Amino acid sequence: MTLDLPVARRTLANGLQVVVSEDHAVPSVSINLWVDVGSRHEEPGRTGLAHLFEHLMFQGSEMVGEGEHMAALMARGGRVNATTSFDRTSYVASVPRNALELALWMEADRQGHLLPALTQATLDNQRDVVVEEKRQRYDSVPYGTALSRLGELVFPAGHPYHHPTIGSMADLRAATLDDVRAFYAGHYGPRTSVLSLVGDVEAEEGFDLVETYFGHLEDATRPRPPSSPPLPPLAAPVREVVVGGPELPSERIFLAARLPGVTDPDFLPCAMALDALASSSISRVHERLVRGADVLSGASASALGLRDGTSLGLVVVDVTEGVDPRAVEAQLADILQDFADRGPRPVEMEASAADTERSWLEALAGHDERADLLSRATLLFDDPGQVDRYVDEVLAVTPEQVGGAAARYLVPEAVATLVYRWEEEV
Amino acid sequence: MTRPARVRRRPGVGEPALWRFPEPVRTRLPNGLDALVVDLPGQHVLSLRVALPAPISGEPPGLEGSTLMMARCLDEGTGSRSATELAELAELHGIALGAGAGEHGLHLGVEVTGRHLGTALDLLVECLDEPTFPEAEVARQVRHRLTDIAHELADPTGRAHHELRQAYYASGDRARVPVGGSSWSVDALTPDVLRARHGMLGPRGGVVVLAGDLSTVQDPVRLLSSTLGSWEPSGPDAPGGPRRAERAPDADQVVLVPRPGAGQTELLLARPGPDRRTPHGWGTYQALSMLFGGAPHARLDRVLREQRGWTYGMRLGFRPRQVGGRCVVGGAVRADATRPALEETLRILDTPGESLEEHEVREAADFVAMTAPARYLTADSVADELVSLVGDGLGPETVTRTLQQVHDLPRGRAAQAWDEVRSGPGWTVVVVGDPDAIAPVAQAGVGRVRTAGPPQVSPRLRPPGPAS
Repeated sequence: MTLDLPVARRTLANGLQVVVSEDHAVPSVSINLWVDVGSRHEEPGRTGLAHLFEHLMFQGSEMVGEGEHMAALMARGGRVNATTSFDRTSYVASVPRNALELALWMEADRQGHLLPALTQATLDNQRDVVVEEKRQRYDSVPYGTALSRLGELVFPAGHPYHHPTIGSMADLRAATLDDVRAFYAGHYGPRTSVLSLVGDVEAEEGFDLVETYFGHLEDATRPRPPSSPPLPPLAAPVREVVVGGPELPSERIFLAARLPGVTDPDFLPCAMALDALASSSISRVHERLVRGADVLSGASASALGLRDGTSLGLVVVDVTEGVDPRAVEAQLADILQDFADRGPRPVEMEASAADTERSWLEALAGHDERADLLSRATLLFDDPGQVDRYVDEVLAVTPEQVGGAAARYLVPEAVATLVYRWEEEV
Repeated sequence: MTRPARVRRRPGVGEPALWRFPEPVRTRLPNGLDALVVDLPGQHVLSLRVALPAPISGEPPGLEGSTLMMARCLDEGTGSRSATELAELAELHGIALGAGAGEHGLHLGVEVTGRHLGTALDLLVECLDEPTFPEAEVARQVRHRLTDIAHELADPTGRAHHELRQAYYASGDRARVPVGGSSWSVDALTPDVLRARHGMLGPRGGVVVLAGDLSTVQDPVRLLSSTLGSWEPSGPDAPGGPRRAERAPDADQVVLVPRPGAGQTELLLARPGPDRRTPHGWGTYQALSMLFGGAPHARLDRVLREQRGWTYGMRLGFRPRQVGGRCVVGGAVRADATRPALEETLRILDTPGESLEEHEVREAADFVAMTAPARYLTADSVADELVSLVGDGLGPETVTRTLQQVHDLPRGRAAQAWDEVRSGPGWTVVVVGDPDAIAPVAQAGVGRVRTAGPPQVSPRLRPPGPAS
């Protein structure tokens, strides 16, 4: 089915791209601002800065006091947040319609005029908060360091996706106020940003409001770095074992593969192959290793679509106690090889299509996520209409394309394996 | 083209537009199920919820978790289909089916597009009416649940909640064991136990909610009547009324939980709080949650996070049960700041109601009231709220009434509500962290202190580790 969301797009004279999707179901508006800066834009020795900004942007700007951005909007029924990934930093808010202008005014102030309020004290404090965030989310939980280890296994040193978004705490400690100022000036500006509004606002009204509050911003950002050349699939399998000791709740295997960049036509077939392999409840891994042999207590798969030439495919399985993970690795390799040789079954294609339709409609049901997807479509595909077309694009993928993509990207030789074990392997 | 000048004047904020929680059509299905149907134009994925009374307090001792396990095994085989066939049916129609349990009983959730609603309802009835609980599938689900429990206990927050339950609730109370059971009780679950538990299920006292864009669904009430409404098991009448979970007489204590090498200390505190029938209005407590522990500028994080940089965040919330509830505070703090962070937390929590300022009460209350339209935009959020309210014996009008109360919340009522929490039975405090980091808590004079042993889990096939 082709969706028909009302979507309008305009680019302001200063380069800011604006997308508005009108929906009057409730009297609120979701604001989503994607800045084209993520950990992939960081310099060696200065990792973690993109994410640190996600924190600093709440510490006040020229006309907004420390912590006031969040406090003032929440007091008016707004919810605000921000997230950072490899490719982008996203600032989100959902506000009652009557607070939209205040939200836009404050957003523009920090997007364009942060530096007058940036002090050594706020930098030091938010660095401490980030250190605690890293301890809580990555260091204190089982397998918390898996994604960063996988990045190191799959992407060569120096590649933009080799280091994790949270960054190195040593780099963060070494960052000076001048480094932080230079990062902001080089990356934050209208030309690197997409602003989406979804909800109780008409398109022209939305464009006028954004022009009013963001139109004066001047751009001093550096040109975006050229795209990295796509990495070919790994030439030979790599494997790393992490010994977690008896505190580890279960032995876990991560398989990671290089996939094509998110805008490459082969990316969707890869994502569907991962669905059929280990994501859906009728996937091969579920059918054979979870429900069938019961050598796994859980399995999942995902395709993390990335922009800079190469994406990341993941299969994660928990090994049943008493089962040797190396035997499971061999079975997983057989399943990958079999899929690459024979391609998907019709039922797997149908399931993938049905799941895509429902989950995409679910994602678009809320204003926040719809705004996020519109910003993403605009920044990655240069077309907010991609949101409308996506389900049709998935339905158009043929079994041959899925099989072909799997044969190139998801074969055992092209997979990095990270295993969390209770004790050293003998 | 000239650029517009920078707007230096801060825009004003007018009054929010009027909004009401969507009003459901409420009917009684032929078998006694209470049905609520809400049309939400534009919400193309429909959310279906079913809640059936089967209070977990009725689980036989030693078989705690049988309600959740029974719910999880409903689609693991029926008289007509195997587990794989059921999974295939759901996947081919894009039906996302979830099953869970809570204090009241069993709940099922379905997300599905309008054109597959009929299939989803037939599937649901099949799972409720003729589950077979095959030996192999039950054994697998039991093993998975045991793995889940191991994962929960390996997580510092999960471990803290485990110790809190042990310290807070009286010996023998069902609330002392998680809804999903302990590793001992889950290990004892068999197909026969689940069949017996399933035999307790019936439609009486149950509720079904359907929310979403119903423009493509012809006569949704009739559709519900001919499917879920015709499910007539020979189960007993609705089980007995709610009861209060009993707090341990010595709950007022500090539990130190050693976790060698932990880089952070997990703090978790609880004391009695209200249920949703509180005379102060549930919204008053939602506002207090926000005021103390809902944002970086709330009372706790303003100091612990924004001033001291000790934590990524400390949260406060109220957890209602059918009768009574708890006020729960939790977060992870820097290991070397364990003692001062706990002292600071307790000092902030000891704020008397009279010190709550007019503006902070107003802002917290406005947050609760004014975020409501956006919170209740999607079909799943509306369906979840309705099934939760009706399952708790409250009416669908509760949301609108609660929001009105919050809109008018006077400072004095918030102060009184907080003072009742603050002056009630004392905090149970759980501190999970490196032994060296948490040891100073014993000298802090914050209450009677004991040190917890390793969690009691059933023997597992685990290779001997270096520390065992």
